[in-house]
Amino acid sequence: MATVSFAGTTRYYAGNPVPAVDGLDLEVADGEFLVLVGPSGCGKSTTLRMLAGLEGVDGGTIHIGERDVTDLPPKERDIAMVFQNYALYPHMTVGENIGFHLKIAKMAKSERESRVREAAALLGLTDYLDRKPAKLSGGQRQRVAMGRAIVRSPQVFCMDEPLSNLDAKLRVQTRTQIASLQRRLGVTTIYVTHDQVEAMTMGDRVAVLKDGLLQQCDTPIGLFGKPANLFVAGFIGSPAMNLIVGTVSGESAEVDGSAIPLTPAQRAALTSEAVVVGVRPEGWEIKAPGDGIPATVEVVEELGSDQYLYCSTSTSRVSVDGGAPEPIAVRAPGMSPWQRGEKLGLVPVPGAVHLFDAATGARLPD
Amino acid sequence: MTSTVDERLGGPVRKPPRKPKPAPTARGFSPLRALGMAVVWLFTALNVLVLYWLVMAAFKSPIEIFTKPFALPSYWIERGQAFRNLAYAWNNAGFGRAFVITVVLVAVSSVAIVLLAAPAAYALTRLGVRGANGLTNFVAIGMGIPFQTVVIPLFIGMAELDLTNNLFGLFLIYVALSLPFTVFLLTGFFRSLPDELEEAAAIDGASPARTFFTIMLPLARGGLITALILNAIGLWNETLLSIVFLNENANFTLARALFAFNSAASYQSEYGGLVAGVAIVVLPMLVLYVLLARRIITGLTLGAGK
Ligand SMILES: Nc1ncnc2c1ncn2[C@@H]1O[C@H](COP(=O)(O)OP(=O)(O)OP(=O)(O)O)[C@@H](O)[C@H]1O
Ligand SMILES: [Mg+2]
Repeated sequence: MATVSFAGTTRYYAGNPVPAVDGLDLEVADGEFLVLVGPSGCGKSTTLRMLAGLEGVDGGTIHIGERDVTDLPPKERDIAMVFQNYALYPHMTVGENIGFHLKIAKMAKSERESRVREAAALLGLTDYLDRKPAKLSGGQRQRVAMGRAIVRSPQVFCMDEPLSNLDAKLRVQTRTQIASLQRRLGVTTIYVTHDQVEAMTMGDRVAVLKDGLLQQCDTPIGLFGKPANLFVAGFIGSPAMNLIVGTVSGESAEVDGSAIPLTPAQRAALTSEAVVVGVRPEGWEIKAPGDGIPATVEVVEELGSDQYLYCSTSTSRVSVDGGAPEPIAVRAPGMSPWQRGEKLGLVPVPGAVHLFDAATGARLPD
Repeated sequence: MTSTVDERLGGPVRKPPRKPKPAPTARGFSPLRALGMAVVWLFTALNVLVLYWLVMAAFKSPIEIFTKPFALPSYWIERGQAFRNLAYAWNNAGFGRAFVITVVLVAVSSVAIVLLAAPAAYALTRLGVRGANGLTNFVAIGMGIPFQTVVIPLFIGMAELDLTNNLFGLFLIYVALSLPFTVFLLTGFFRSLPDELEEAAAIDGASPARTFFTIMLPLARGGLITALILNAIGLWNETLLSIVFLNENANFTLARALFAFNSAASYQSEYGGLVAGVAIVVLPMLVLYVLLARRIITGLTLGAGK
């Protein structure tokens, strides 16, 4: 077990002047479960593959524990990896797949077999040890891939979207299994996903990447409660945070007639008159029309325990992923009597407002 | 849910249609399809006819061959000597020894070709060797050179080395001339194997050599077998080089022996024996091909996906 640290780690791909991962600084504590999350193409896999030694490092360093592994080949790094497509050896049985590393490491056959059986028992694969991967279900294959990683007791686990080939229900089950297994084994783990729910439920800390740049690395609560910039604010949370453009007038920000107070520190930090007000769906108070921001219910999404109202307003909004801004999402108690077309007023709950500088995207001091 | 299951179990047994309905696109008459079918069937019929003629003629007397080319054989059968032609060819053409030589030469050459071509193809596609694409194309150029054009320089070169009229010399030539095609065929296979397996093996600590032998080779088995069979068939039938390079009966391969037998048998008007000789040379490969056709075809198209 060991810490992992990236220092200024940079990766360019041939023919592309923009680095896929740009000056990544990240410290992962011993035994920590760190999730790398971000939209497609942001450099998550590249980061993981650099750590595994499958991709060269063009700048900066990577350390595992005290060792500088930047230029070491994969086999000298003592890491195990779970691939998205599992990459099981199709001509080997489950047992041989799990024991392949031990065999290469020249471990005695009896010890190897007992280690394999132990790992298989841990993952409920004992009955399948003699089968070929082709005759397993997706979930079982996923567990074999896990088995191949845990049997080595490596210093670091790397996992690249290991659940993305499973159906929704199995994914939720396996998610908790992996998380609890990792806590039990205490092996430092870097886990890549593009699913922010997976990230928030599994990770001790979550690192958000965008275009090869680290946006924020924090606990799920920290990320959710204090997003460092507009991108993180819009990326984490489902439905996403509503990001509304306001203008500074005097001591407060003006949004469609409603005033949101700004502290002197916030006003000092602003680089322009434009401010973005972020309110999560659960951060709204629903009032009678005429109070707060006037809105019209467009869609009612009933989930039983909660209800989400998607409302149109005359405010202008920011879209993080570049698409058309979505309607404002508002959470109401489940089974509320709201109907399409109804008018209401929205007032942010005090303390549920996130403020960002519209020009830089950075969070304003609280 | 349960009610449907019960209904199905208790209800009358449903019979699937005898022939599943084709997709709408495949239905209806298409002139191209009709033409294609006609050509395919014509080609097949022609081949079957030639094969039929060959097998029948191997049991006929010369007169029967020329007067009743498509009738069933009768002359030798009536005389109780049905296999007389085959025996004649076998005894007079020196096929016994040639058969052993050919089997050994073809087997050893095919295996050697694949043993050399597989690592080469692996290195060209998988190891990220600098200039691998150019090298692959360079190897492929070898396929474009008809070997007939290099026979004479080859002969002169081999004579310098004292390797003419020598089975080892022929073995070298066979291997050298078959490598371009085989390397090219196998690069297709290795290219179609997923990258992740190699990466997984690297992380498991396997060296490139070990990865090649324990992961890639077993996975490319289909391709290797295809390459082996195609080479075996090609070399079995190879005549020109064996005529040029072998001139002593003791060294003759089947095709070479057949060529020598051809002049002798036609001089004596032993056409039945001659055809029987051809049949002895051709049929083993035909049987091999029929047995392995499915395997070869999947092998040839495997690299085409992805
Ligand atoms: N082999 C490669 N050659 C060139 N460019 C590459 C290569 N692999 C990745 N890239 C580029 O590098 C960037 C980061 O890719 P990466 O695979 O790390 O993304 P990712 O975050 O894992 O995305 P996803 O969620 O889709 O898997 C992308 O813009 C991608 O196009
Ligand atoms: Mg990826």
